[in-house]
Amino acid sequence: MENFEPVLVAFVCNWCTYTAADLAGTSRLSYPKNVRLIRVMCTGMVDPQYVIKALLEGADGVLVSGCHPGDCHYINGNYKARRRIKLLKEILPQFGFEPERLRLTWIGASDGIEFAEIMQELVKELKALGPSQAKMKMVV
Amino acid sequence: MQTKIGKALVIGAGISGIRAALDLAEFGYGVTLIERSPHIGGILSQLDYQFPTDRCGMCKMLPLVERDAGSQFCLRKGLFHDNIDIKLSTELASVEGEPGDFKVTLRQEPNPVDAARCIGCGKCVDVCPVTVADEFNAGLTTRKAIYLPVPHTIPNPYRIDTAACTQCGACQEVCPTEAIRLVDEGRKDFNILVVDDELIVRDSLKEWLEEEGGFHVSMAESGQEALQHLKTETCHLMLLDIKMPGMDGVEVLEKAKELFPDLPVVMMTAYATVETAVEAMKIGARDYLIKPFDTDALIPKVIQIYQTLSTPPGPELEVGAIVMSGGTSYYNPADGKDTYSYGSLPDVVTSLEFERLFSGTGPNGGQLLRPSDGRPIRRIAWLQCVGSRDMQSNADFCSNICCMYAIKEANVARERAARAGTELETSIYYMDMRTFGKSFQRYRDRSEASGVAFKRGRVHSVEPDLQANDLQLRWADIDGNVAVDHVDLVVLSVGQRPAEGTQALTETLGIGLNPWGFPQTEPFSLTRTERDGIVAAGSFAGLKDISESVTQASAAALAASTTIHNAGGSIGLKDQPEAIYADVSRETPRILVTVCTCSEAVTQGVDQKALTHHLKSDPAVDRVEFLDGTCTAEGWDKLVALVKQHRPNRLLIGACLPYVYARKLKALGTEVGLDPRLMEVVDIRTPVFQAAREDAPEGTEPSAVTVQRLLAMAVARLRRISPAPVATVPVFQQTLVVGGGIAGMTAALAIADHGFTVDLVEKDKALGGNLQWLSKTIDGQDIRAFLEDTRNRVTGHPQINLHLDTRVIAAFGQAGTFYSTLEDGDGNAVQVNHGATILATGGHEAATTAYGFGTSPRIVTQQNLEAQLHDGTLDPTQLHTVAMIQCVDSREEPRNYCSRVCCSTSLKHAQALKAANPSLRIVVFYRDMMSYGFMESYFTEARKSGITFIPYTLDRRPAVAADGTDGDRVTVSGYEPIIGQPVEMTADLVVLATGIVPELPGELADAYGVARDEDNFFQEAESKWRPVDALKEGVFACGICQAPRNIHESIATAEAAAERALRILGRERLPSGTIVARIHESLCSLCERCVEACPYGARSLDPENERIVVNPAMCQGCGACAATCPNNAAYIEGFDAEQLMDVIDAALN
Repeated sequence: MENFEPVLVAFVCNWCTYTAADLAGTSRLSYPKNVRLIRVMCTGMVDPQYVIKALLEGADGVLVSGCHPGDCHYINGNYKARRRIKLLKEILPQFGFEPERLRLTWIGASDGIEFAEIMQELVKELKALGPSQAKMKMVV
Repeated sequence: MQTKIGKALVIGAGISGIRAALDLAEFGYGVTLIERSPHIGGILSQLDYQFPTDRCGMCKMLPLVERDAGSQFCLRKGLFHDNIDIKLSTELASVEGEPGDFKVTLRQEPNPVDAARCIGCGKCVDVCPVTVADEFNAGLTTRKAIYLPVPHTIPNPYRIDTAACTQCGACQEVCPTEAIRLVDEGRKDFNILVVDDELIVRDSLKEWLEEEGGFHVSMAESGQEALQHLKTETCHLMLLDIKMPGMDGVEVLEKAKELFPDLPVVMMTAYATVETAVEAMKIGARDYLIKPFDTDALIPKVIQIYQTLSTPPGPELEVGAIVMSGGTSYYNPADGKDTYSYGSLPDVVTSLEFERLFSGTGPNGGQLLRPSDGRPIRRIAWLQCVGSRDMQSNADFCSNICCMYAIKEANVARERAARAGTELETSIYYMDMRTFGKSFQRYRDRSEASGVAFKRGRVHSVEPDLQANDLQLRWADIDGNVAVDHVDLVVLSVGQRPAEGTQALTETLGIGLNPWGFPQTEPFSLTRTERDGIVAAGSFAGLKDISESVTQASAAALAASTTIHNAGGSIGLKDQPEAIYADVSRETPRILVTVCTCSEAVTQGVDQKALTHHLKSDPAVDRVEFLDGTCTAEGWDKLVALVKQHRPNRLLIGACLPYVYARKLKALGTEVGLDPRLMEVVDIRTPVFQAAREDAPEGTEPSAVTVQRLLAMAVARLRRISPAPVATVPVFQQTLVVGGGIAGMTAALAIADHGFTVDLVEKDKALGGNLQWLSKTIDGQDIRAFLEDTRNRVTGHPQINLHLDTRVIAAFGQAGTFYSTLEDGDGNAVQVNHGATILATGGHEAATTAYGFGTSPRIVTQQNLEAQLHDGTLDPTQLHTVAMIQCVDSREEPRNYCSRVCCSTSLKHAQALKAANPSLRIVVFYRDMMSYGFMESYFTEARKSGITFIPYTLDRRPAVAADGTDGDRVTVSGYEPIIGQPVEMTADLVVLATGIVPELPGELADAYGVARDEDNFFQEAESKWRPVDALKEGVFACGICQAPRNIHESIATAEAAAERALRILGRERLPSGTIVARIHESLCSLCERCVEACPYGARSLDPENERIVVNPAMCQGCGACAATCPNNAAYIEGFDAEQLMDVIDAALN
């Protein structure tokens, strides 16, 4: 368990968080490399099935991250994501996942440092939480 | 992309320049966008956050229809558009010709780094020995002489600051792609003549210029000798001392100019004789240097002159119109009396420095630390009006932006502190809080409620308190009480100044300046200048915030467009040959994967054979090739050759900075007949930086694994793509304008002047709206004559169908196709089809019952007074005392907004009354005097003429009582804070400033699918970035139904709305973007959830055919519909569920 390196799938929006991730990368900030970035146009297009799929396929955590409230390029996609993620967290336990494995954050385009910090923080939390049940089962 | 033959030059690529360029480009004109600095974005590249969201939103300026002609990513990162040619580090050298046919010459500053070869590895930075202040961080950090001007923009090749560079050659040696060609041989042949009677000056200049600058230097010790020297030897530059025995410098200058009129001369002077140097510039000197010399400033100045002289002018362009959008500069507190010790106290910073201080890319990564000692900041004070509203700093104007940015900075700083879990005290010291824009007052109120302290008064001094280790502010509040506050940081809210080089540019263009040094615009226009075809956009013409800059940039684009159109520029050249792409939908995927090998981070540990083998285990992958320097011209040629050779039906490029490739992919697609949607660039370099580092932490994933996975994820996405043809929607190429006031008439004329039919609807029997009761503006312009002229142009225009005494009774439709039913006073109905809708329904003076209105004929509104002054029913000479009360029922709930025009109207009326009766006593009760911008000088004048201004607060309002027969005796009482006493007066006239209420009927807004805000004004899509657009594309608003404004500003919004509408009207069909929503009809259950979810109103139910339809031109591809659909019927082209599922698989494999 000590060497457990959690795998984090991050659905990031094209306008804000993807830009922040790019800025973090080009500024050569260090953030955990166990983050698998998947660019989507908007957090509002993240279907709950993607999140569940990622967790079932062995991700230890899923992050959905987009523009700050009021800032969405598509006006209100992030609000839709916020409602959806809240509900999704309610049903995750039924799949055997702790709700903490799913996180929603807002990271603006110029917040490269914040992106790196949040990734570090998330990986730390997931380490504390331990490997996902789905993965354990697959190991068995 | 449809293009027209017209072309425009836009000077300055800040947000105004970008807005103007995009508007013109979207209409179809070719635009050359030049920018003096090496990056786009202007001041906004340094500002991360804007109110009211306290975030960014710049990307909302990007094109909404035909999105793929432009970039589709964060606008702070960069911009491209098919019709825009962006030239950075470029200035205008000369202009000839006339409107519609200007010949301009540009001058591009050379960059020793070849952008086509630079791969951005940054090795040069590591070896550069020169460190200078970094202007991007407002001097708070340092950078090298070779540097990235802005960390986040693309393309972002390194630049060399030639003024700071010592030409040591270290960077050139280390550059792996030989992109740097440093040595400037030309300097050795550049002969500088130094003329000074003092040997030590001559000698030291010779030494500096030869050793540090690399120039050739000759010397002369007197004027005579200098002239002799000029005759015998070719000189390229003369440095000339002013005070010399015998022939003085000015005389030498005169004589030298007779002999060699083109010789550049720089005067050298002691501080005491600066005025002589300034005079010398009038007779032909290029610049002056002040003794004793500062070598850090001297050498760069000479190098700059050398560069300007030695750079050959760029290509000549032919353009129809020129838009000046060079932005502004900011007041430097160190330049003036510097009461607040800026420059000597490190913890006194300017507002721009503070923006960098809390930025994530700033000196402390966004942490609020004191510049002096790095301790956390707990208390911040903002001092307003530094370099604004101050005669001593030559600023008899209000800079408009500082009040709001100070509040925003306070809010963002508080948020930063809250996130760090610390307390932060924020105080703003101000004279008047000028919250005169739409929603500003409520923003201020919210901020105050959340803990930002607003302290009204002037700060006398800022001094360090050595014992407390902080700064001590001594200030006097409005009652005259002196107080002392302690803070950690003082932020000076610095005002605006004309942009650097304004004078030179306007001289080149032949434009005059206004009394404040900004370009002079024509009466009733904020954009047109005395020269047709040369227009000003944004803050270049003075004192604008973002939303006004954006509005006026669109207005300027319209003025430019009109000139180009009149010169025949709108004639469609023809649609550019549409690229013909092979239909690959029935072929099995054959992906060509290319992997860039220029970065050691990627190549280290990557076994090419193993990677190829792994990728090819997916049958979709046809070939894997390794390429060196994909982004360089050479590498790209190789890639193109590979594509031509192997003819893949999909292309995956593993490289870095995917954004850079968008344009190249388009060109490649056209060349080889492969749809660019079947190509993808994936960044394989940035994610492996860490693994490649020697100090990579244990457990870091090896580069090989990361690269392999990134490529596999991209393959997963790419193999599923099967692009459908780009959809288009038809356009009725005509417009409906609702409202025949000045805004409606202006918009109608603007569009009709472009040759499109306009239906102008006015509910009254006459055109003119509020202009019918106004007579003169505050600056004395004749409103009635202007109205008459505009009416005549409207009624006589062959392209305008005028519908007076008519209302819109029903309407429906979308961008391109609206159907409206109009009904006149006699009940006759007519249907109009139009492609765009402009709402200009106006507003009126608010009614009131406050302050005894209605109880006495002596209590009137501003509109009453305007009428009485005009028709002569009021004789000012019969009056003794007039009281004016501002903000009646305004700036408090339920009408909690500033109406913007009332303060200047009161100043105008007071001025007129005082002129007619100089002994008249006028008392103005006000809350915050909103004499923004250049209007401030009328406020100054009014105070000088003896008008009394008494501030009041909501808890201590003035009172008005009327008694006597018919309320003939009116008493006004209030509290005067300066004397600390109640005051009372008998007034012959009380004038109430009741403000503006909009007239935008809810049914009309609903019919066109647009929203109204809480005060019933038109709700714009975004207050800053799309100020005249509705969220629903195709509907625009202008004039006072959009927000309170004066005449000039209403006209500017009307021009902006017209320009925005022209983008749609200019084409027969509107194309959609490539990432667009579609529908699997067989899966759809018509639940209509997607219709509700679409923020753009692009989806609707077609009841006849029982299906959901998507207007592809309005759809922006956000995917809200796809995530909402319970049946997977709605999907996004390019981001469908199968694709994403495959990508997730690949990510976790």
